[in-house]
Amino acid sequence: MELDTTSPLLHFAEDKLQIFALSFKALVYILKIRWILKFPAGKDRQAPGGSPDTSAQKGAIHSLFNIALPWEMASTRQHPFFYVQFVIFHIGVAASILMSLLIPYVPEWIAGRAAVVALQSIFAAAFLVGLVRMARRLTDPYIRGISTPDDYFSLALLVVWLGFSFLAAPNDRQSGEWPLLAYFFLTAFFLVYVPFSKISHYLFYPFARWYLGRTLGHRGVYPVKSGARA
Amino acid sequence: MSETRSYKAQKLVERLQVKVNRQIMLSLEACVHCGLCTDQCHYVLSNPGDVTYAPAYKADRIRKLFKAHIDWTGKTLPWWVGAKSVYTDQELEDLKDTVFGKCTNCRRCSLNCPMGVDMAVFNRMARGLLVHVGVMPEGVAVVAKDQWEIGNQMGVLKEDYLETLTWMEEELQSEYNDHSIRIPIDKMDADVVYSINPREAKYDPRTIAEAAAIFHFAGENWTMPSQGWDMTNFGLFNGDDELGGAVGGRLYDAVERLRGKKLVISECGHGFRSTRCEAPNWGKRDVAFPMESAVITMLGYIKQGRIQVDKSKNSEPVTYHDSCNNARSCGMTEEPRELLNLVCSDFREMHPNRAENFCCTGGGGAMSMTEYAPRRLKSARIKADQLKATGAKIVVTSCHNCVDGLFDLIKHYKLDMQVKLLVNLVASALVVPERPSRKMRPLEGYKILVIDDEPDIRVYLGKIFKDQGCLVTEAPDANQGMRAIKADRPDLVTLDLILPYMTGEKLYWELRKDQKTADLPVVIVSGYAAVDSPRIDFFGFLAEKRLPQPNGFLEKPVDPEKLIETVRAVLLEKA
Ligand code: SF4
Ligand code: SF4
Repeated sequence: MELDTTSPLLHFAEDKLQIFALSFKALVYILKIRWILKFPAGKDRQAPGGSPDTSAQKGAIHSLFNIALPWEMASTRQHPFFYVQFVIFHIGVAASILMSLLIPYVPEWIAGRAAVVALQSIFAAAFLVGLVRMARRLTDPYIRGISTPDDYFSLALLVVWLGFSFLAAPNDRQSGEWPLLAYFFLTAFFLVYVPFSKISHYLFYPFARWYLGRTLGHRGVYPVKSGARA
Repeated sequence: MSETRSYKAQKLVERLQVKVNRQIMLSLEACVHCGLCTDQCHYVLSNPGDVTYAPAYKADRIRKLFKAHIDWTGKTLPWWVGAKSVYTDQELEDLKDTVFGKCTNCRRCSLNCPMGVDMAVFNRMARGLLVHVGVMPEGVAVVAKDQWEIGNQMGVLKEDYLETLTWMEEELQSEYNDHSIRIPIDKMDADVVYSINPREAKYDPRTIAEAAAIFHFAGENWTMPSQGWDMTNFGLFNGDDELGGAVGGRLYDAVERLRGKKLVISECGHGFRSTRCEAPNWGKRDVAFPMESAVITMLGYIKQGRIQVDKSKNSEPVTYHDSCNNARSCGMTEEPRELLNLVCSDFREMHPNRAENFCCTGGGGAMSMTEYAPRRLKSARIKADQLKATGAKIVVTSCHNCVDGLFDLIKHYKLDMQVKLLVNLVASALVVPERPSRKMRPLEGYKILVIDDEPDIRVYLGKIFKDQGCLVTEAPDANQGMRAIKADRPDLVTLDLILPYMTGEKLYWELRKDQKTADLPVVIVSGYAAVDSPRIDFFGFLAEKRLPQPNGFLEKPVDPEKLIETVRAVLLEKA
């Protein structure tokens, strides 16, 4: 049996600290959802006589998956590079969150060389996308005009976190714990900070898209008629 | 900065807490400042480099306020998330400049936001907040006042509206040489109640006549309400839900009062959207009767073979401009195209189109805000480029507001183009059916009102007229007769002299006194001799009151042939 040489600090960072951060995040999210539901939802009354081939429900579902249909919106069609960046960046973030659960509890799942290379490739790509995004936010006058300190900080936090995700992916404690320590402390900070920052947009996403889709579906706008793309 | 707020700013902040519903709150929270919506706005595309036109930048003027007063993080760490309240009246003026002057609520950015941020909806809310404290462009205040007080956006008085309808009816009758063409007003139990944009009554009455011709040749049982006829709704533009609910309610009341089966809304994007989809929510009222745009009604007539059209009558190249409200808020994109392909021979698509079309730049009430006209026209460059690229000579739209917006930009950018509505094209493509020969059925299509207190006589006279192809209505007394004349003016009235409540001679006097009915043909059908009745001296009465002779006088019992001959002579003379 191999001797566990992991320091108590890393043990704490990858286990108790994560559980605490996750629980905190969950608690804040529950409160946030309660807060969302406190606002009365506007109704969608409408006189009969609309399009027979669409409905509020169809529209809501279409709207929820809109993001996976880049050809649907002119904005994503006209900016394919931006869309690809978006996909890579979000895959990177999701992979890193997953890794924060795998390393402490089922490290063997990502112990193989192929898995490490795959993870590192994702993190590297997402890291680079993050840098491109930061450059865009700093240089494009339109984006600069709408950016808040939270926007800059959230992006910087994610870029740094993705960088440490890259370094932590091999889970090589023998060569030094600092990449893992940095990664887990950053993950915990990230989890605690997220609910108060723009990163929590994914909490609002399903609600916002559902309601927009419900209205537009009811009226026959969603699903968007394909002729528009002709 | 001083923490003291001006009175208006304080009221606006208080109102904000009331007006933010779940959908608006989500749209205000969900923006990630990705900027993907930036080049989807016609203001940005026509004013490159000016960040203040970017949808997210404009949205943030409202979002800052929301963050400062409602959002958790914003309340705790305002500078971190860009939260900022309003304190001075000048700040309210600045907000006005953005929400009224830099956005037409066209919803193009909303449909292009990956997060589902519905900018147009909260921009409307912000307009409502400002209107609540009396901060708005002057034109907005004037139009809203007219709609509140007079009942329509353009301050058209009831008499003028009714006169316009009568005028258009007469025009139609002489154009088609057919006196059976009517614009029925306040007819009960009609299958279609037709509502219009006051712009039609004030500036473009031809569209009313064209719609009337289409209804007539389709054999529709239709009517127009004498009040509550305006289907436009300034509440959509100024963000005032109370106004929006009240305006929609007037129209719904009119349809219910007339027991109409369906409300048809003439071509107007915001009117269609407000009446069908928004006003039931603003007024918290469920509406049971169906509503449809006149575009769908006209298309239905052609598809069902109720009217015939000849597309070669519209041979000039035509393109179609989708109104934002029709396309992005009501999903009506295919029907107008289907209709256009049936009524014109050279239809060219504009790009982009349908839900991706660019605003005419006159939307969101922009046409009433004259102070922003130079900005509006500058921002119309993208639309002008779109129009020019089609090579069309006519741009068709199904919105009166777009007609004005497009007309303005066409003039400004010196484009060689006309603007038309679909109803114009359908009417000009109409193939008018041959009327049945007057020899065979001499009174075919004429409307006759029989006023007589004896049911047997009404049935008898009615049968004679119906056999001649007339449309017959009956009234058992003078009061009901008068109401029937006002609701749906007949071509001729047969009038008994002895009637309950009010005599026939009194009714005759009333009719001749009123300018609108002074020339209505009246044939007296009475059981009393003209001159020597002890109970009535009709001709003496005429002399005393200096009234003209009736168009005919027949004594009961009436000979059917004589009746037909008299009535026919009167009607032919009138025609
Ligand atoms: S409104 Fe939507 S598209 Fe525009 S910046 Fe915000 S999230 Fe991005
Ligand atoms: S609603 Fe239309 S006008 Fe307003 S910001 Fe969005 S795209 Fe521009």
